Amino acid sequence: MKRWVYALLGVAVLGVAGVLIQRALGEALVYFILPSEYAADPATYEDRRIRLGGIVSPGTVQYDDQKLVLAFDVTDSLQTFPVEHIGTPPELFKENTGVVVEGSFEDGTFKSDNLLVKHTEVYEAPKDGEPIDVEALKESLE
Amino acid sequence: MSSLGTLGNTTLLLALAFSLWGLIGGAVGAIRRDRRLITSARMAASATFLAMTATVAVMEIALLTDDFSVSYVAETSRTTSPIWVKIVTLWAALEGSLLLWGWLLSGYWAVLSWVAPNTPLKPWALTVMAGVQTFFVGVPAIAARPFNSVFPVPLEGPGPNPLLQNHWMMAVHPFLMYLGFVGLTVPFAYAIAALITNRPGTEWMLNTRRWTLIGWGFLTAAIITGGWWSYEVLGWGGYWAWDPVENVSFLPWLTATAFIHSIQVQERRRMLKAWNLLLIILTFTLTLLGTFLTRSGVVSSVHSFGDGPVGPIFLGFFIVAFGLSMGLLAWRWDHVRDRSDLDHPVSREGSFLAGNVLFLAMTFAVLLGTIFPLFVEAATGDKVTVGAPFFDQATLPLWMGILFLMGIGPLLPWRRAPDQTLRGNLLWMALGAVVFGVASFAFGMRAIYPLLTMTLVGWNLASLVLLVTGVVVPRLKIGQRGVAQVLRQYAFENKRRFGSMVVHFGVLVMAVGIMGSSAYRVDEQIRIDIGSSAPFQGYILHARDKFMEQTPGRISAGAVVDLERDGQIVTTLRPRTNVFAGQEMTVPTPSVMYRPNYDIYLNVASTVGPEQDFVVLRAVMSPLITWIWIGGLIAALGTAYALVPGVQGARATRDLKRGLEASQT
Repeated sequence: MKRWVYALLGVAVLGVAGVLIQRALGEALVYFILPSEYAADPATYEDRRIRLGGIVSPGTVQYDDQKLVLAFDVTDSLQTFPVEHIGTPPELFKENTGVVVEGSFEDGTFKSDNLLVKHTEVYEAPKDGEPIDVEALKESLE
Repeated sequence: MSSLGTLGNTTLLLALAFSLWGLIGGAVGAIRRDRRLITSARMAASATFLAMTATVAVMEIALLTDDFSVSYVAETSRTTSPIWVKIVTLWAALEGSLLLWGWLLSGYWAVLSWVAPNTPLKPWALTVMAGVQTFFVGVPAIAARPFNSVFPVPLEGPGPNPLLQNHWMMAVHPFLMYLGFVGLTVPFAYAIAALITNRPGTEWMLNTRRWTLIGWGFLTAAIITGGWWSYEVLGWGGYWAWDPVENVSFLPWLTATAFIHSIQVQERRRMLKAWNLLLIILTFTLTLLGTFLTRSGVVSSVHSFGDGPVGPIFLGFFIVAFGLSMGLLAWRWDHVRDRSDLDHPVSREGSFLAGNVLFLAMTFAVLLGTIFPLFVEAATGDKVTVGAPFFDQATLPLWMGILFLMGIGPLLPWRRAPDQTLRGNLLWMALGAVVFGVASFAFGMRAIYPLLTMTLVGWNLASLVLLVTGVVVPRLKIGQRGVAQVLRQYAFENKRRFGSMVVHFGVLVMAVGIMGSSAYRVDEQIRIDIGSSAPFQGYILHARDKFMEQTPGRISAGAVVDLERDGQIVTTLRPRTNVFAGQEMTVPTPSVMYRPNYDIYLNVASTVGPEQDFVVLRAVMSPLITWIWIGGLIAALGTAYALVPGVQGARATRDLKRGLEASQT
């Protein structure tokens, strides 16, 4: 056997591994976006697992402790979407806090199975009428 | 000015001075071949160890006496913590864990300086150790200083991260991890010494064979205990989430595992010189890269340790260490290049080489998945994470290949396999594979990877049986001794070989555990009113009561749940959440019923409040998960057995002594 046979074999193995890796990466990437980013381009995030960040809209929180469904609206003040989270509200969950939910959109509702409360210490919610700094919000939720 | 802080700073600076001397004096001595300078630099190892021991002792005293004038104590400790928590708080945060790392490294360096055989490699190996030591003392001495003085002195501190003080594994897992990282520094140091002195033969790896195995063994144990720890404290019923922190501990393990196999090829066949050097360089530098990735906050992780100046410093050291090592390798390329070819791909060395390719492919895949978010953000600005499915899809086929080779490799002879024995062995192994595969199918398993895993377990078990009978049967034929005696003698005489079989058996046991617990896990959220019950997987969960306990350091709230099966109460679990004094975060504290066939794991999904008359439980059933820990224990014992000084070694020493005595008379 010659060296180049092994070299060829090595390249073949690397090639197969490369293809496997590339396919797996394409499917497993989970994007982190804000409601307005979703609204701008819903097709990209269709049927795909994403992480959606935003602020819990005041007055929208409903918790069904029989069925264990937590419903609320998440907003970045430009766009708002309803979230249905299967599970219990985490310890520090309350209105006007930053949250990140993980799941996917189904008929305009975000179905979540993972809810994280983010302390947005850096980020200060704008007063009424002031424009929101979306980039700062996203940075603080990450 | 705090006196303990001053003392700690002094001993730390002393350690820095000693290790610098070990580096500079050692290098100059080795270049000039100056025996006195070399001896003096060698003494620096023990001096550094003493100074680091003093430093760690000072920090422990500060922690145990609640001396909040020391910054590290003020930031991480608390008066109400139990004594064991105060002791292990040494490695609960960055600055302290760097002290631990530096201390353990100085211990290895000092031991090496005394026990290492006097070879031409030794002065340079000790100098490389000194260089690494200088870095690991320099960082806490200059950049991440734990002994800064705090004024005004606070009366109370926040205590360590609640996830860490919630479980005794905190005392074990990080310690093992550092012992592993540090242990693998020794073969790295010898590899660099081999390149500098232009002696890339087998000498450097023979000198460090036990060190390599010790480092690998500790790293393996650390990863498995880490898995069990996260099973017990994180509350989602799993043990491995492909989180960046987990991944970066896994990367050096992968390259180290490839290394302990491929060095055997060089020992026996004088091949793969450059490859082995490359593997140990990768192993060492990956520990640095991992520390950079997880300590700098560039990749987000559930257990990242916050931002700090230390991340870039580690990146710098990684670049320097990797660049210098690769430069040396390129410089010596003409001497490390292999001149001989594989005789035949179907041979021990062929299978080891193929296994190496798979381990390296897995290293690449895991590394890529871990740092891919950085590339995406740099290229498109999108923030992404790489989910667990990627890692499963990328690594599972590679694991299957590794399991396949693990069965066939040890049965193949070196150089070339005689066709007849090979065919006979393959037949038996195929039989084992088919029996296990069919039995699993009949048992109801349908998914492809679990079936493949079980098939390969059968393949490997047959291989282990063949390996044992292959040596036992001929010996039985020639003597009158019984099977047990022959086996005992074989195990005693071939500790490395027998130890490796035990490790491989442990890997199989773990494979079964991983297969069962990941493919057949059941995970449900269940609401139960206090006093009533709900069904789960053939059990009745009866929420008998709720409770609230308060100790000076923490408050626990949870539920008392009886597990009932066929009208019998099997066990009572008490899942709870803990809140530690000084911390805001509640820590889930699951309660687990351990069984050989499956675990039932209960965690309270939200804190049971005083007003609340129900409890929400996360109930997880994980089949066979206990076998992961048992398999890990078997693998650790096998490694330890392989490390027991062998008859051959003892005999060689004895003969050498006799020869010396004979030559003197």
